Amino acid sequence: MQSGDAVLDTMPKLLARNVQKFGNSPAFREKDLGIWQSWNWNQANEQIMFLAKGLIELGVKEGDHVAVIGRNRPYLYWSLLASQHIGAVPVPLYQDAVADEMEYILTHCNATFAIVGDQEQVDKIQDITEKLASLREIVYVDPKGLRKYDKTRLHSFEDIIHSGMESPSSIHDQLQDRIGKIESGSTCVLLYTSGTTGKSKGVVQTHGAIIGAAMSANEHDGLTKDDYQLSYLPMAWVGDYMLSVGQGMAAGACINCPEGADTFQVDLREVGPSYFLGPPPLWERIKTSVYIRIQDASAIKRGAFNFFMNHAAKVGKDILEKRSVSILDRFLYFLGDIIIYGPLKNMLGMSNVRIAYTAGEAISSELFDFYRSLGINLKQLYGQTEASVFLTMQNNNEVYADTVGKPIKGVELKIGETGEVLYKSVGSFKEYYKNPKATKETKDEDGWVATGDAGYMDENTGQLRIIDRANSVGKLKNGALFAPKYVENKLKFFSNILEAVLFGDARDTCVAFLNIDLAAVGNWAERNNISYSSYQELAAHEQVGKILKEHVEEVNKDLAMDPNMSSCQIKRFLVLHKELDPDDGEITRTRKVKRSFVSEKYADLISALYSEKTSIATKTEVTYEDGRKGYLEATVKIVDATLYEVKKQDKNAA
Amino acid sequence: MVNEQKKVMMEVKNIKLRFGGVVAIQNVSFDIQEGEIRAIIGPNGAGKSSMLNVINGFYHPQEGEIWFNGEKRPSMEPYEVAKTGIARTFQNIALFKGMTTIENVMTGRQLKMHKNFFWQLLRYGPAIEEEVQHRKRCEEIIDFLEINNIRKTPVGSLPYGLQKRVELARALAMEPELLLLDEPMAGMNVEEKQDMSRFIVDVNEEFGTTIALIEHDMGVVMDLADRVVVLNYGELLADGTPKEVQADQAVIDAYLGVPH
Repeated sequence: MQSGDAVLDTMPKLLARNVQKFGNSPAFREKDLGIWQSWNWNQANEQIMFLAKGLIELGVKEGDHVAVIGRNRPYLYWSLLASQHIGAVPVPLYQDAVADEMEYILTHCNATFAIVGDQEQVDKIQDITEKLASLREIVYVDPKGLRKYDKTRLHSFEDIIHSGMESPSSIHDQLQDRIGKIESGSTCVLLYTSGTTGKSKGVVQTHGAIIGAAMSANEHDGLTKDDYQLSYLPMAWVGDYMLSVGQGMAAGACINCPEGADTFQVDLREVGPSYFLGPPPLWERIKTSVYIRIQDASAIKRGAFNFFMNHAAKVGKDILEKRSVSILDRFLYFLGDIIIYGPLKNMLGMSNVRIAYTAGEAISSELFDFYRSLGINLKQLYGQTEASVFLTMQNNNEVYADTVGKPIKGVELKIGETGEVLYKSVGSFKEYYKNPKATKETKDEDGWVATGDAGYMDENTGQLRIIDRANSVGKLKNGALFAPKYVENKLKFFSNILEAVLFGDARDTCVAFLNIDLAAVGNWAERNNISYSSYQELAAHEQVGKILKEHVEEVNKDLAMDPNMSSCQIKRFLVLHKELDPDDGEITRTRKVKRSFVSEKYADLISALYSEKTSIATKTEVTYEDGRKGYLEATVKIVDATLYEVKKQDKNAA
Repeated sequence: MVNEQKKVMMEVKNIKLRFGGVVAIQNVSFDIQEGEIRAIIGPNGAGKSSMLNVINGFYHPQEGEIWFNGEKRPSMEPYEVAKTGIARTFQNIALFKGMTTIENVMTGRQLKMHKNFFWQLLRYGPAIEEEVQHRKRCEEIIDFLEINNIRKTPVGSLPYGLQKRVELARALAMEPELLLLDEPMAGMNVEEKQDMSRFIVDVNEEFGTTIALIEHDMGVVMDLADRVVVLNYGELLADGTPKEVQADQAVIDAYLGVPH
């Protein structure tokens, strides 16, 4: 944590360091009105200080919780930092959370102030305002549509900055006084977990933990102020907090905010980040879009694409990892780089990527290799909110699709008796907010934290391997291991399958729910002249069922190879009539299935899967985007899949 | 919402429009007040679009007067009407399909650009300055209507709902006093309609633009409009607040039919 003379263990100290050392380098950028606007550290610091003073004038006290809700914008990042400077604790919330979820978090942490992006968030808060006893003032950034609103408790961001600018010197002194009181052990941020099991928990993180973990991660990849990234992940997710605020502040790197929700692809291309983090679904989506577009290209282009992509698959990874490759192959790869890989990477905005990470879920080796063969240094890391993300990260040249890397500096790992991964880290959380019971269950007296994930250290690579959530691993009736996520991931590796939920704990056999990927299957339907008007109609299409049956059987075949997992083969499955949706509480905002909720909600479908029925009529409650509820009725077909024998001879031969 | 003190922006008096022997509009009078959202509704063939075309200067009525901002308007061509601060969108989208969104929106600034053709050809000095200023205004409108993700997409390849929004953007680029919208929500799904309604309200509130719109979806009209004119077979059937109009027996008969 040492840099120069002072110990940099709080956000105010880091900001002061950045201003002093990098004053004129860009700190924040945002595309606005079609042009990239930029603030250097001096300018950003000025704004943050005005905002901090303005918030003091508004009445924000030390220890107050300030909710921050909206899409990634410099103003909201400044809000996080300004709150931290005045001893308040920022609580970033998911911008797409429905009013119920917001109410839960805002009341749980007794937020007294909220800084929000736009009218949409103001509306949501005002809808539940009677239930938010502690909430006092709301600050909004974008005034659009708010002209006629009652302004008694609403303040524009601009006005707050202005009041900070013109505040008396007493406020200035108060600010300096408050900054002086912030220590490494002070609370830095309150982050709510996605909550796969029950309600989400508030993770209290200190300045020291956030900065400690960020600095270790920066050191691992040699991140400097010259690196830049696109801040597009939800601000409430610990991943964005660590990347944009933690790592960005620690390195003095520039944060780039996209223009809007739908401009990600264009902005990515314009920014051309050097450091990039994305969850597997994003990588999958990008690859799918490439393949969809190449199908529409002319025969010559398609031919060249296929030829060079095959060549990349053959030698690209070896070249990236600096292994020996024949001169002819190197030359062909060089040609391919000029004709295909270079332009493709440029189109994807990945030309300058020095380090890219996938995290949050398992990634298929095929998808992983696609990017690496193009020369994009995609790696894996493993972590969680409670650890300020970073636990293990892969080193360059030691990259595998099925492992997640070695512990980074400041992290100790061990595997518990039950197979659960435990850690001790500089980034460990202080506690769960208002939940000492859960804190005790997760973190023992010696500081070992249970991740809730089952895993082991891979002997060949020395890296950590994650199998599943520890609590979702169960047993079938015959005593065989039931690891649902392992199987679900295998299913989700098919681009046609968006989500899969496996059932089988304490049952005789395994059955599954599937969600089709509307983009991939929709594209297939278009090419095959199959008309459909909705997700529901396409999901119920007979031929879609056939395709999915093939996928399921392929997975079964794969599982049969592994004697430990062969009992997890899927006997029957159905394609759900609706997509699992965070608005309905079926998956989290970070797209993790809430298993128990789903099995309760669709109990009728599960019992049908375990009966002899070939179809079932069902009625499901759905929540629309604006929070209204409705019902969806459907008849869902059930498909039987072939099970495969375990090949015992093969195993003996091997 | 209806306020007696509100200033009348436009008044059409005793308009009569014939195409040969066919009477499209028969003796219709109503007014549009400053700052309101005024809906014109009626069954197919009632003369709604014709009315808009009259206001727009595309049709010239055989009889009647049009008063705009307190002055009687002489017979004008559409481009002259546009110069007075009246912009419109069309029922069947009329964009330049091969041009991008920003280019289409920029065409809306044409009337406000003063540097002559040769300066613009040179793209130098004052001409560039002028273009930058206008581009800024267009970008603000693009931001306002949330179409920044399609800024550089040719409009021909956009879905219908978005093309409608681009058309609205182009009309707004003229910074009109009065905006005429011809079925802004035709052919849209529920979600697109909600979006469009929100934009229309936002335009009205933020820019203070007076809006006259034709719409079939009664739910939308009742939510959006301050006052409603009902036409039927070219005649004025009713005029009043949405509530008044909804309760009007003549309107109910025209929409639901009468027992014979």
